[in-house]
Amino acid sequence: MTIRREPSLVMRLRRLGSLHQSRLSFMRILTRRMAREGWIFERRAFEIDNDGVGHAVYTAHGPERSYSLVAFAHDLPPDQRSDRVIAEAWDCTFTLHDGVPGDDDVDRLSKNIPYQEAGRVTGKELSVSRANRSVRLWEHVVSSLASGKQPDAEQIDAVGYLMRTTAVYGSGKLGAADREMIADRPEFASPFQAEMLSVFLTRWFVTELVQHMADVRARQAGGEAARLSLDLARSMGIGNSTGLGMAPFLLNHPVLFNNWIMAREKALEVVRSVDRASASEVALFLDLVGRGSSTIETWQSEHPIQIEKLASLREDVETVTRHLEDVDLSKPGAWNALHQWSEANLGEEGQEWIASLMIEPYGHLVDDFADEMAADNTATFRISGAMTIAELRSILEDVYSWALNTDWARPENRARAWYVSEEKLEPRLGERFEEPIEDYEQPLAPGRDAAQLHKAISHWPDEAQVADFLLRHPEHRHTVRRTQIAKRAPYAEIRDNTISDQVLPIDMLRCKLSFFGATKFDPRSDRWVRICMYGNAPLPFELTTENADFWVFPSTKEAVA
Amino acid sequence: MTHSLNEIEALCKRAGRGSGLPWGLAEEAAKGARWLSAFGLPGAEKLADLLELNDRIPAIDVSPVSLSAEIWHAPVRRMSPLIAGAALSDCAKRLRERGSITMENVLFPLLTVPFMGGAALRLGTPVAVQWQDARLATDGHQLCLTASEGALNAKQSDRLVFTTPAEMTGRKEPVLRASVSESDWSRLSTFAHRTFAPATEESRLKGAGAGTTDND
Repeated sequence: MTIRREPSLVMRLRRLGSLHQSRLSFMRILTRRMAREGWIFERRAFEIDNDGVGHAVYTAHGPERSYSLVAFAHDLPPDQRSDRVIAEAWDCTFTLHDGVPGDDDVDRLSKNIPYQEAGRVTGKELSVSRANRSVRLWEHVVSSLASGKQPDAEQIDAVGYLMRTTAVYGSGKLGAADREMIADRPEFASPFQAEMLSVFLTRWFVTELVQHMADVRARQAGGEAARLSLDLARSMGIGNSTGLGMAPFLLNHPVLFNNWIMAREKALEVVRSVDRASASEVALFLDLVGRGSSTIETWQSEHPIQIEKLASLREDVETVTRHLEDVDLSKPGAWNALHQWSEANLGEEGQEWIASLMIEPYGHLVDDFADEMAADNTATFRISGAMTIAELRSILEDVYSWALNTDWARPENRARAWYVSEEKLEPRLGERFEEPIEDYEQPLAPGRDAAQLHKAISHWPDEAQVADFLLRHPEHRHTVRRTQIAKRAPYAEIRDNTISDQVLPIDMLRCKLSFFGATKFDPRSDRWVRICMYGNAPLPFELTTENADFWVFPSTKEAVA
Repeated sequence: MTHSLNEIEALCKRAGRGSGLPWGLAEEAAKGARWLSAFGLPGAEKLADLLELNDRIPAIDVSPVSLSAEIWHAPVRRMSPLIAGAALSDCAKRLRERGSITMENVLFPLLTVPFMGGAALRLGTPVAVQWQDARLATDGHQLCLTASEGALNAKQSDRLVFTTPAEMTGRKEPVLRASVSESDWSRLSTFAHRTFAPATEESRLKGAGAGTTDND
């Protein structure tokens, strides 16, 4: 009997919005690989002036290929600092170049990267991104160091990063290389590895840029700045500020999304099937529960939704801690018993936290699932026209049962509409009955559309074929495709209403960002979230196989300090 | 200047939608233009031509009347290569059973070729097409092509014959970069623009969910 969790349980927005990073997160897949393969990192250029304007190049050398972050630093007036996609200037802008750039490349990139969407890159570039300072932490760190002191650890913890990225574009955007151009390289077998590498190098650059600015300020005052301690540098990640634009991604890439969820669910299934945990596996799990709790203790948010979720999660952490004092995890079937206990006793945040932690000691059983997380959509794009209407109906009734039981005539069930604005093609969510947006609606309400399709085929005979139905009803072609995908890819579809008056787009953002490996989700509204990436990770030059895996869990010593 | 295939696909999908195609067909149009572009063929250009010609025309008028007919034809005698092509791909199994499918009066026949790729992948055997002096075959991954420029760029073909199985001779591998002329890009952008909601102050403030200060 399979114990893999049902899509109807997993694919609810509330649960997807409660996911936590795991060892299958893209950042951790990358750091493990780079450590295992002995990647070498070097700063090849740092030509930044006293005003903080200029460029730098940081190169990562893998076994066969090298990749370079080309960073441009700017002097940004505060009134232009915006995390929105409609911004037109940033504190820093970046690209990940495929190889080591020559002077001509840097010259070409300097005329394009600072302008982001208004610039162009080539097939030699793998990503384009930008970042803004955390104004208060940046100033605190620069002024502390410039006056010869280390910055205050508490102030660092309260923000978590010196800069936050506000967009990281990959796969063909702005003329960059399509994923297909690099997909056969082992280092890009898992999704978003180029983007994650770019952020990993960005974090290194930012620590050097803040030191440079402190040095300049100290020198101008006739003194000498302190060197930022490596412990403090390591405690800082790179922030990310993400709006609604990321939310449609999960809906627009159903096969890919399925593969992410499937990998984590398979991992959980494998661990729940472990007969007996070894003493070292139990010890590692208990250690990480303790270290993971300290991340939850220092996780801050001012948003009412997240404050409530955090309160519930912290209660769950206490419940888990008490429970673990009473159970013997070396007994047969202990992981499955723990999982079942968590389903009965914890909220969704707590359940997903424990689920991610349970797979931690089992890298040897689960890490290979990382190679199954990418997707080639060619095979799933085609529609099987020979499928009968009876079969189509049966899939619809299985996958979209929640949608067939929703009354779509009620305004609250379709209160919102997703659309794309004229300005920088920013995805937005509007009020269907209050704004003139319905004509521009994007196909991001699969539940409603599935219910319409189900109705449209209701009077078609069972033995009729999908091809003949679609010839007369091409308006359902998009949804027929999704339905056929959902048959093959059980976790492809979110099983919740994405246009109701209750929908929280941050649930989709959190889900995606948890797969990146983000921590400390801090919603700014129901459709905007800030997070931290690579907090506590080794800096590139200190990456080893010893610290490449569990960096996301602060050591107990640090947690106490 | 070259474009990434993703850029071409994204623009063509929006353009297709902007011309009035349902989303599912706009997706097919975009995948097809991308596929042709990857082989150095003028997929985006022919799509722009087609969208201009069939702008906001009801799909049913330019669709095959029946998929069981001996010869597929559209009521208005200018069949959409996107709709006919999508139906061909949907009917991959019927194509194998029948051995060939013939279509009459198809606009921009080049745009049907990517759909043969879909059918070939489903069947696991190459599919070929002939019109005028053009003969193309594909297994979904590679393309074999003998055709004059005139046939490749034809605005309409009286008769298209699709067959399977087919021989693959003189294979062409896809390249992963393409270039679309500025004027074609701009023609497609005009259609794509119709899908973008004009910004209002309210949507600017609330629609993306930000609004708090970022100077913190």
